[in-house]
Amino acid sequence: MAMEYFSGLPVNGDILRITFVQIMILANLAIGIFLIGMYMNLKKWGMGSTGYGQSPSKSILAFPKMLMYQMNEHAHVHNQSVLETFVLDIIFQRRILRRSPLRWFMHFTIFVGWMTLFLLSLLMFAVEMTYMIAGQFGIHTLDPSLFREMLAVPNDIFSYILLTGIIIAIYRRLFVAKVREATIAYDSILLSGLTLIVITGFVADGIRTGRFWGFGLPFEWAPPAALFHVIISLLFCIAYIPFSKYIHMIAIPLALLANKGGE
Amino acid sequence: MAKREPSINTENFTAVQLMELDSCSRCGECVDWCPTYDASGRDPGLAPRDKILRWREYINKSYGLRAKLFGPKAIPEEEIEQFKNDVYGCTTCGMCATVCESAINTVELWESMRANLVKRGNGPFGKQGAFLKLIGEYKNPYMADNKDRTNWFPEDVKIEDKAEVLYFGGCTAELRQRKLALATARVLNKLGIKFTMLGEDEICCGSALIRTGQYFINDTAKVNAQKNIDNIKAKGAKTVLYACAGCYRASLVDWPRLTGQELPFKVVHITQFLQELIEKGEIKWEKSIDKKVTYHDPCHLGRHVGVFEPPRAVLESIPGIEFIEMERIEDNQRCCGAGGGVKAGIPDLALGVASTRVEDALATNADILSSACPFCKRNLSDGRDAIGAKELDVEDVIVLVAEAMGIDLSDTPAE
Repeated sequence: MAMEYFSGLPVNGDILRITFVQIMILANLAIGIFLIGMYMNLKKWGMGSTGYGQSPSKSILAFPKMLMYQMNEHAHVHNQSVLETFVLDIIFQRRILRRSPLRWFMHFTIFVGWMTLFLLSLLMFAVEMTYMIAGQFGIHTLDPSLFREMLAVPNDIFSYILLTGIIIAIYRRLFVAKVREATIAYDSILLSGLTLIVITGFVADGIRTGRFWGFGLPFEWAPPAALFHVIISLLFCIAYIPFSKYIHMIAIPLALLANKGGE
Repeated sequence: MAKREPSINTENFTAVQLMELDSCSRCGECVDWCPTYDASGRDPGLAPRDKILRWREYINKSYGLRAKLFGPKAIPEEEIEQFKNDVYGCTTCGMCATVCESAINTVELWESMRANLVKRGNGPFGKQGAFLKLIGEYKNPYMADNKDRTNWFPEDVKIEDKAEVLYFGGCTAELRQRKLALATARVLNKLGIKFTMLGEDEICCGSALIRTGQYFINDTAKVNAQKNIDNIKAKGAKTVLYACAGCYRASLVDWPRLTGQELPFKVVHITQFLQELIEKGEIKWEKSIDKKVTYHDPCHLGRHVGVFEPPRAVLESIPGIEFIEMERIEDNQRCCGAGGGVKAGIPDLALGVASTRVEDALATNADILSSACPFCKRNLSDGRDAIGAKELDVEDVIVLVAEAMGIDLSDTPAE
């Protein structure tokens, strides 16, 4: 089975071709590693108790139980609703805005860029899947190559939004003394991974479209560049989350929910 | 070969707290605002961010991926001992929680770390170790005869045997800051509020044990909380008044948690009670206090439970007072330095924090630095003396209320 994968490759030539199978294997591998990592984290968190001052539960259900308990408990200070926490604290990230508008802008651009590109990639995948599956039954659905062109502009916009945030983050880590001195490998790995994903994305797209970001590299390099970008993205976007600072993408929203948006 | 045991365990941590360790984004806001980190000359070990990082590493070394595959990695005892020293260099003021972008409930995290280290045999710190024995033996941490809680009240103070309102005086006000306790009692008398007190049946609220991670030993804090609740019920009280922020917080938050039951009475701080009476026009001021007054929010009354407005409303209603705010107030208030067992365990650190807070007050040109907690008053007074700011009076809101109501407190007996 060598169905071509539409996200960024030409069909002709003997060059390394990204196939549906390759992508599915990679994606499943990444999801598998992610799930194992999250299971291990849940086991680790489950070493805690399900109530203040109680003995460790040592059950994988301890975390969801304690989370639900806290979410339903009356808070003495900010007893805000789950909806308010979700919209204002998780999505809008107002706790960061309150402390530092610049850092909020940096983080918000990374968040919006990252999440939107992730969702657009999922959407692209869904269109391809629908096209292939429906095609087996002779049903014509939206052509993935056409859809890819439709996504070109939003992909560009959100990639640049993400890049803006990353540039600010790199600048802070390198040139703001207080931030630089506090930076440890835990922080650097996150930013390096993010930077690598974005740069490889731009380069792969640039080679394919012949734009600036291709740096004049031969067109034949587009598929391996795209494959590399996909591998890096799957590794960092999904597989590496439970084992690194990327876990904050899951843990912070959970902490916000558990503590009703915090003090 | 026997499997190596982890150097640390997860005793006293909830599952959510273990998750919170992974939610720190290391933004550094807590470091910028921590009063003890600042007063220690920026000792890196006291930085809240650093404590979370270290404990997360301990947990990962003990229960993380590597530990699962190859067994737990040993943590040197000296490292854990140093960590213990650092985690006790915290007043549990909660400023780090207020500024935490990840909304980590840091106060409870520090308290869990302390309790864990006490169980492990590392904690508590210095003189804090005496709390348990003192409270167990004397029912207060001051080694005072518990009969002395209220037997010193002058004869004019009328305390009912039973009443719907009960004034829970607290160890510090009844045994060390008696002017505050006397002011509260006489204000209530003058307002015609029939109230009762527990007297020698009152037991330490447990704040000192809870904040220093010793609450679970022999279930002392739980047993004492239950006894206090039972004694309050026996007095027929439906509303319990507090003029001590520490006792108020312990009763409101910690007692229900320790006993696993809702309280059968309403917990009210004296400033909340007075604010309501002021709004009803039931307080008649007799004297003008022509002074510039600023107000320090006690952590246990403000940030921990959100009582910011009532003390200000009371002060602003007193005739003659020109109320002026310090730069850091309410949510952003700077701690007085006494809480979390720091006053008992690391008095120099407590004094350093207090001195900075007194400087905040001096910057306003206030004549009086007021608060609503006897423990804050004590440490702020020490801070004032340490920097020689004799021009600044440190006084509790309730004492100012008494003065403005024309109540004489000159007969307050010494400790």
